[in-house]
Amino acid sequence: MIERYIQFVGEDEVDAIVKLAERLQDLSILHVNSTAAGGGVAEILNRLVPLMRELGLRVDWRVIRGDQEFFTVTKTFHNALQVGAVEVPRRFYEIYERWQEINANELDLDYDVVFIHDPQPAGLVKYRKRGLWIWRCHIDVSTPNPEVWGFLRRYVSQYDAAIFHIPEFARDDLEIPQLLIPPSIDPLSPKNVELPPTAVERVVQKFDVDPERPILLQVSRFDRAKDPLGVVEAYRLARRRVPGLQLVYLGSPAHDDPEGEAVYRETVEAAGGDPDIHLLMLPPDSHYEVNAFQRAATVVMQKSIREGFGLTVSEALWKKRPVIGGKTGGIKIQVIHGVTGFLATSPRTAAHYAVYLLREKRLREEMGAAGREHVRRNFLITHQLRRYLMAIAYVAKRAMWSD
Amino acid sequence: MKLGAKSLDTKGKGVPFKFYTAYYVSTYSRRKAYTLRELLEGVKTADKNTLFHHVFHAVRAKHLLPPRYNNDFARWVGEEVGDEELAAALSDISGAEPATIEDIRKEIVAILEPAADERRGRSEFVFVGMEPVVVETKYVAHTLAEFLDLVEVVPGESILYHFVTRRVLRSAGRNDFSTWLDKNFGLAEVADELSRIDPLAFNSEEALREAILTVLKKRLL
Repeated sequence: MIERYIQFVGEDEVDAIVKLAERLQDLSILHVNSTAAGGGVAEILNRLVPLMRELGLRVDWRVIRGDQEFFTVTKTFHNALQVGAVEVPRRFYEIYERWQEINANELDLDYDVVFIHDPQPAGLVKYRKRGLWIWRCHIDVSTPNPEVWGFLRRYVSQYDAAIFHIPEFARDDLEIPQLLIPPSIDPLSPKNVELPPTAVERVVQKFDVDPERPILLQVSRFDRAKDPLGVVEAYRLARRRVPGLQLVYLGSPAHDDPEGEAVYRETVEAAGGDPDIHLLMLPPDSHYEVNAFQRAATVVMQKSIREGFGLTVSEALWKKRPVIGGKTGGIKIQVIHGVTGFLATSPRTAAHYAVYLLREKRLREEMGAAGREHVRRNFLITHQLRRYLMAIAYVAKRAMWSD
Repeated sequence: MKLGAKSLDTKGKGVPFKFYTAYYVSTYSRRKAYTLRELLEGVKTADKNTLFHHVFHAVRAKHLLPPRYNNDFARWVGEEVGDEELAAALSDISGAEPATIEDIRKEIVAILEPAADERRGRSEFVFVGMEPVVVETKYVAHTLAEFLDLVEVVPGESILYHFVTRRVLRSAGRNDFSTWLDKNFGLAEVADELSRIDPLAFNSEEALREAILTVLKKRLL
């Protein structure tokens, strides 16, 4: 399987991954997270764990269990850590701790290296008997609810290291080493594989979008952090200069997110019945359709006000589409201003760059090529795999230099 | 003096050149700067790996920086603080031999110090450290001919490791290529000409490789 990535990253990169893995053959490795399917972490582990095993590493993956009450607690923690202002009842901390103990009793945690993903199972470290423990944080904890972070920090401080997506998410109040590993996309996944042009055209037409006219696309949830109203405003401003422009906002229904429905309604209202604004709600597993729309788009937007990493940016760049991104979170290391796209701080600047790109085909092609190369060099799954292996070598103090 | 293509099968003193490659574990240094003065303080006190990262990663991954800036300090000063004059000065620092990381630190401090006031960036500068993880490659050169051929094909990271990382971070004084050519073959002039290449004049490993190859071809073929 790993050989299939040679076409993207070259033989030497894959050789290096094999050599790094050889250094770690004697170690048993465990990943623990809170869900086997659905969500970005499960998606990454579903791809990473088989690749690590193929390299001869002894890797297991376990999922913690909990009742509905526990997952209400962890969802609340999640929101409190990412958004900050959330009320957290005192008993939530007891429920969290109780389920850490239950899972610690049920799971075999006797490994040389243990990766604990996200806050849900972070408290398992209290029950560690041996091994190197690494907390892998997939969310933005830079401006958390102080009480919830204070609670979680007591656990995180007991780890040998923590891993964050970008330096801005790392914490000054953690004494342990903090490593930086961005997430990645898989060029072989249905969301990113090459598609025949006819398939792209067919999918776009299926949703009443005209493939002959320019398309401005944003793929994201209907969430205020993604600024859907700002996207509509930017489109409106751009359309005055680019007649025939269409906006496609591609999201998924969020049954567990009442605010998502409210934001969707507000966006529909803002669209005001414009037939060239397409607010599409597709099932979460619509990878083929997302792929097709990203390839059909003339310019892609990710105009977030706040963002964890925003992998849809890398997905679009991989398809050679320049991206206009909000200047926040991981978007800043994917959109290199003026090279792979533009960073915008308001609907007006987003519209300005959109018009510029929509008019300049050559610029779009140059930025598209630079974007694909940027992703090829930095954000493919093989990079993430190598960085995980390097993280283990670093924490386990395995030979770093050649002499 | 030229050796010529017919004389490159010599093994010199018989010491082969083993190509290694390096990747870098990025770490958060727990230091941020919001103003030019804090940036200066950060540059003064950062450990050598952190400084190395912010200065030399432009050679390693050109696409992480707009090409007009040659290092992270220049980008932050230009894009976030808006002082293009100071950014240009910072972009012009030299990384040629025998500059150590301390020499580079002194040069940056000398540029920043007169300008370091309370002007703030629109976002903070985050100091990031790094630790190299070195991996053996399959490439070994026994002769000058093999060396010349392999410099063209080894991974870009390998070029940077031998030409820059080991010299700057391990205080080797000289890049590995020059050291090998001089010690194993007595090619002091070729070695000296390679040593004069400033890696900070390039914003990709491929451009650096091209400069090295140009010297090698001129001198050896």
